[in-house]
Amino acid sequence: MNDRVKHLFIWPAFLLVLVITLFPLIYALTVSFQTIRIVPPTPPRFVGFDNYGDILANARFWGAIGTTATIVVISVVLQYVIGLSVALALHHNVPGASLFRVTFLLPMFLAPVCVALIAKMIFHPVLGPANEFFTLFGLENLPFLTDPNFAIAVLITIETWQWTPFVVLLMLAGLQGLPAEVFEAARVDNISAWRRFRDITFPMLLPLSAAVIFIRLIEGFKIIDTVFVLTGGGPGTSTETLTLFAYNEGFKKFNIGMTSALSFLFLIVVIVFGTLYLAGARKLTQRYEQ
Amino acid sequence: MRREGYRRVGFLLSLFWLVLCIFPLWWVLVTAFKPPLAVSGGATYVPFWDFQPTLQAFRDAFSGIRGDFYGPIISSVLISIVSTALAVLLGSMAAYALIRFRFSIRLLAGLLFALLSIGGFVVLTELWNVSVPYALLVALFVALPAAVWANGRNLPGPIMGNDDVTFWFVSQRMFPPIVSAFALFLLYAETGKAGLRLLDTFGGMVLAYTAFGLPFAVWLMRDFFESVPVEVEEAAMVDDIGRMRIFAQIVLPMSLPGLIATSMVVLAFIWNEFLFALLLTSSKWQTLPILLAGQNSSRGDEWWAVSVATLISIIPMILVATFLGRMMRSGMLSGSIK
Repeated sequence: MNDRVKHLFIWPAFLLVLVITLFPLIYALTVSFQTIRIVPPTPPRFVGFDNYGDILANARFWGAIGTTATIVVISVVLQYVIGLSVALALHHNVPGASLFRVTFLLPMFLAPVCVALIAKMIFHPVLGPANEFFTLFGLENLPFLTDPNFAIAVLITIETWQWTPFVVLLMLAGLQGLPAEVFEAARVDNISAWRRFRDITFPMLLPLSAAVIFIRLIEGFKIIDTVFVLTGGGPGTSTETLTLFAYNEGFKKFNIGMTSALSFLFLIVVIVFGTLYLAGARKLTQRYEQ
Repeated sequence: MRREGYRRVGFLLSLFWLVLCIFPLWWVLVTAFKPPLAVSGGATYVPFWDFQPTLQAFRDAFSGIRGDFYGPIISSVLISIVSTALAVLLGSMAAYALIRFRFSIRLLAGLLFALLSIGGFVVLTELWNVSVPYALLVALFVALPAAVWANGRNLPGPIMGNDDVTFWFVSQRMFPPIVSAFALFLLYAETGKAGLRLLDTFGGMVLAYTAFGLPFAVWLMRDFFESVPVEVEEAAMVDDIGRMRIFAQIVLPMSLPGLIATSMVVLAFIWNEFLFALLLTSSKWQTLPILLAGQNSSRGDEWWAVSVATLISIIPMILVATFLGRMMRSGMLSGSIK
């Protein structure tokens, strides 16, 4: 039958993903149970769960999880709040909305490396415009990138700046898809704008919101480029994220068994956080539906 | 009255966010034209008023006295265009198949595949000392036909459909990329030992990025194909035109806006990608983001040089974003974002 042709369509993509994405994982999984060093070269030795145990006992691993979670959670909350507000404003056609629509997308399309380089200039403690701005309030030469708390705040700012457009884009699409009749009825009944938002718009957008936040959380956990350029994980290891930690282990210490184990633990962390989030989101959605 | 109040707040918020969006871009644009004095003397903002603009930084960058600029630009352009084209082509084909045909995959066949490939690989490498790439290849060639055969049998257990296949493609994006990037690095290093050089080559990068872009392409193109009416294809089928020709000559042209939008999104992701390039290239095929990250450590406070490099990477993406924004406003992408 003609149906056979379907294989011709799907197999190239399927094989490519299999060979390039999944098969290396099998290899990495076996490597994660061995000790292999490239420098100095040592023959592979099977060590069972030792690599995993070592990492779980390593304070740097838990520090990296803490740092990553702090950056991701706070920045995603900010992205959502700002993104939804801006989307609402644009949806209600504030003056200049069409100009805003084009410009709002920009940050999302820039390479995170570029954004980090620009941020590094702006947040320069002496020569940068951020310093000039804070000097107005008498706060001169703040240690933006050299103090752990400031550095994390700067990273959160950058993440929020770059990815709020994503939330705006999707929430705007969601707002435009809502049925107009409900809002007409609410307006006829003279329900205040705030209550319209709280009782109609927000609950109706809840499933989309949950999905958008989920995507941002998953993507946010991958953060490396910005940190790599901006602080290199420093001062010390105070801004080291999970991906950066894995990279440092693998390419500075050349301990590939350890890095493989680490990346699988990372996968588990993402799955745990993802499942917790999805369970929480489902509960919230159900509560609103009742 | 209250309504006007909300509008005003919304407008002010949008304006505030607009300024916040534009300022860093303005900053990098003017900094590229700054002479050293305009940087070391504190923040300056407006050319001709704050400082006298100069083209020196651009001349320096392109005359090559500050290291190779053309190399990374050329590799970035070549790699991202070729991988985007491949990812969108293969992704569209897969997306089309997922829309127009029914797939059913037995869970047991999938498990058999996982078991055979992982087990086979471990046995081959650990017990028989086969080198890694060959072991993977053999495991693939044994496990795949076995799984396809098993799928045809009448096995018990749940059957997965098209949505599960789509999810399988998209879920590749949920992995932390360091997992697959590092694994791919290990594999490339092994194939290098076996005689096939993939690290720091054009082919290796294109393979990696095509696989990287595929999930987006499948996900986005599926929505676009859904809006192509089946009737046209059915008419063509009555005339006995092959599926491949229908796809290439009818379906693809009909979803051209979607094809363009998808290509641009995939292109942006590949153009900006950092981690794979960091692990898989070393000198010959370094891409722009790697060059940029290097600017940072080697340049210190030479902001004009950093800004020129940054602009080179940013400008194509600003064009892409503007174009996409226009497409969106004209409603060409309506319904695609769900």
